[in-house]
Amino acid sequence: MVDQSVDAEPAGQNIAGEAPVEEPEVVTDDTTVHDDVELERTIGLVGGLAIGIGTMIGAGIFVFPGLAADNAGLAATLSFAIGGLIALLVALPTSELATAMPRSGGGYYFISRGMGTAYGAIVGLGLWLGLMFAAAFYLVGLGHYASAVFTELGVALPFSPVIGIGLLFGAALTALSIGGTENTAKIQNAVVGVLLVVLTGFLSYGVLDAVGVFGGGTVPEQFFSRGYFPVLTTAALVFTSYLGFAQVATVAGEIKQPGRNLPLAMVGSVLIVTVFYVVTIFVATSAFGADRLGQFGETAMVEVARDFLGLPGAVAILGAGLLATFSSANASILSASRAVYALSRDALLPRKASEVNLRYGTPHVALLAAGGPILVLVATGQVELLAEVASFLHLIMYGLMCVALIVLRRRDPEWYTPSYRVPGYPVVPAVGALASFGLIAFMQFASIGIGVVVMLVSYLWYRYYAGDVTLKGDI
Amino acid sequence: MTDRPSILVPVRVLEGESVPEGVPELLANAHVVLLGYHVIPEQTAPGQAQMQFEERATERLEEYETIFEDAGATVERRLVFTHDGQKTIDRTTTEHDCLAVVVPNATGPVEDVLVAVRGAVGIDRLARVVAGLFGEMGVSVTLYHVAHADETDEDAETLLAGLEDRLGDLGLDTSTIETRVDRDRDPLDAIVEAADAFDTVVMGESDPSLSTFVFGMPGDQVADRFLGPVLVVQRGPASTDVATDGEE
Repeated sequence: MVDQSVDAEPAGQNIAGEAPVEEPEVVTDDTTVHDDVELERTIGLVGGLAIGIGTMIGAGIFVFPGLAADNAGLAATLSFAIGGLIALLVALPTSELATAMPRSGGGYYFISRGMGTAYGAIVGLGLWLGLMFAAAFYLVGLGHYASAVFTELGVALPFSPVIGIGLLFGAALTALSIGGTENTAKIQNAVVGVLLVVLTGFLSYGVLDAVGVFGGGTVPEQFFSRGYFPVLTTAALVFTSYLGFAQVATVAGEIKQPGRNLPLAMVGSVLIVTVFYVVTIFVATSAFGADRLGQFGETAMVEVARDFLGLPGAVAILGAGLLATFSSANASILSASRAVYALSRDALLPRKASEVNLRYGTPHVALLAAGGPILVLVATGQVELLAEVASFLHLIMYGLMCVALIVLRRRDPEWYTPSYRVPGYPVVPAVGALASFGLIAFMQFASIGIGVVVMLVSYLWYRYYAGDVTLKGDI
Repeated sequence: MTDRPSILVPVRVLEGESVPEGVPELLANAHVVLLGYHVIPEQTAPGQAQMQFEERATERLEEYETIFEDAGATVERRLVFTHDGQKTIDRTTTEHDCLAVVVPNATGPVEDVLVAVRGAVGIDRLARVVAGLFGEMGVSVTLYHVAHADETDEDAETLLAGLEDRLGDLGLDTSTIETRVDRDRDPLDAIVEAADAFDTVVMGESDPSLSTFVFGMPGDQVADRFLGPVLVVQRGPASTDVATDGEE
């Protein structure tokens, strides 16, 4: 058992007179210890991987292939690979930070302790809002899949049910998280397992078909059919598919043997989904060619499955798509509520925000604070905009995490003793930071604008509400 | 009083579970590891529950601590917020090297104790619990063994006689010890039936198997049906490691 002491002493008060909660004395493999109170760690490696993969796989496979192919042609494969590479460059430094500070709140925690309260507030509030944008994006995707089910059943609706269904599920998920005390983690693990099995079967068939084993053969096409630049803009768009690994860090306080399981879960989930994404795009574009794939939009994968395996294939992918987008939305809402808790623990949001409901034992204020705004965002129905704003806010956090790592390594405070150290320091975190900030440049102006406004509002909130709070560790 | 056996007393502290009547007297000679725990749903971070409930939980635990101390025990107190109560109980048992975990049910004054003996494995820990707790209480102790088909009566008697000697060595008055052997029965049913005439049961923990996975640990099953306090003697640290490793 590796005992670590955490010496970062938070101080100051917010406008309501609340001070940050004291830091724990010791972090062990099984618990976080405050005086004679222990917080049990209960999530194992499988649980951690399921959180990462479950959050990510919904978007990359079931929503983006059509959109990405439309933007970048066959080279969308490369866009996904670039996204995966950047995610990996960030996941490695994040792993080091997480093993040094295995506490709830993930990126927010690392940055507020490494770089100070102002950066922390921008990232923390940005993370909370970013997760809402991400959840809204998954819910709109879910709406597309649910409407495809209606189409499949031959039910003609006089209006598009996409947004209505998204809203319905958003409200249902929030209510379930507040009132449900079922064993959601076990369900999440099972869902991820089923998804991986279905996808592996489907993709294996697709790859064999694409190389001509079943006589189908590939639709010959130029790789960079839309030119080189769209490869990067598409990478920026689809980066939303790689947001999940940092969600593992938001529950870092509950992971068993954090020194071992956190790096494995984060890096492992990024590697696994990257492989799945790249193969998926390859198979999808091989089946139809980028132009036709683009016309199918959000549910393009259903058509690909129909092309390979007929109606049963389409039904299987429809089902998988519903499950995947649902689990991604669920994971994001839960992470958003953890982010609210981390902020309120540090007095950057009112303590009331992380209050626990006496009847169900769930944080109803935090969950409502996540679920409510999500509905507003879903109502816009803007898939690409939601995805990009979510990516923007996360990329800011990713870039700053890499910077925080470099800052901490250079100052080398006594309490900073990660059990996992990033390979290739300082190149990996430096490149990770540059790549994260660089990718933002390829986004639409509207997304960048909304993202900047969110950051600005976050900063002003910090100045107004908690200007006196200091969270930085002794350096 | 030389060697107080460490006994874990798990209490779901915020769900109105308290220390049942008779249990503090039962553990008067023990070193009580009082584990107050609160199980929270996965949507909630343990720290979140701590922020809100720590004060109230600590208050209650302090009350319970006093009750045990007044009865004569030495007490160590832990408060844990967890998603998984069983994991917390198992971990605390190992960390504090507890010989037994008590399933707290109410009882009157303890006058007679049933000790269910499964086999020679772990018999030393069983003896330390029985002798440590009841050595100076003047209760009557019945050693009980359900023999299986390929076990002779002599084998069973040797087993119980060995335990009796060991208890004598540890300071228990052997004149208060009786032995009893049954055979060709389901051990669990037999123990529950025999337990009816006793105030409390001491028994060993089984190895995890398919049936314990489906029906729960025998200790808990006996406690459910017996309705009095059951002391479940834990396997030694070496074998506990094997049991917890299988998880990943």
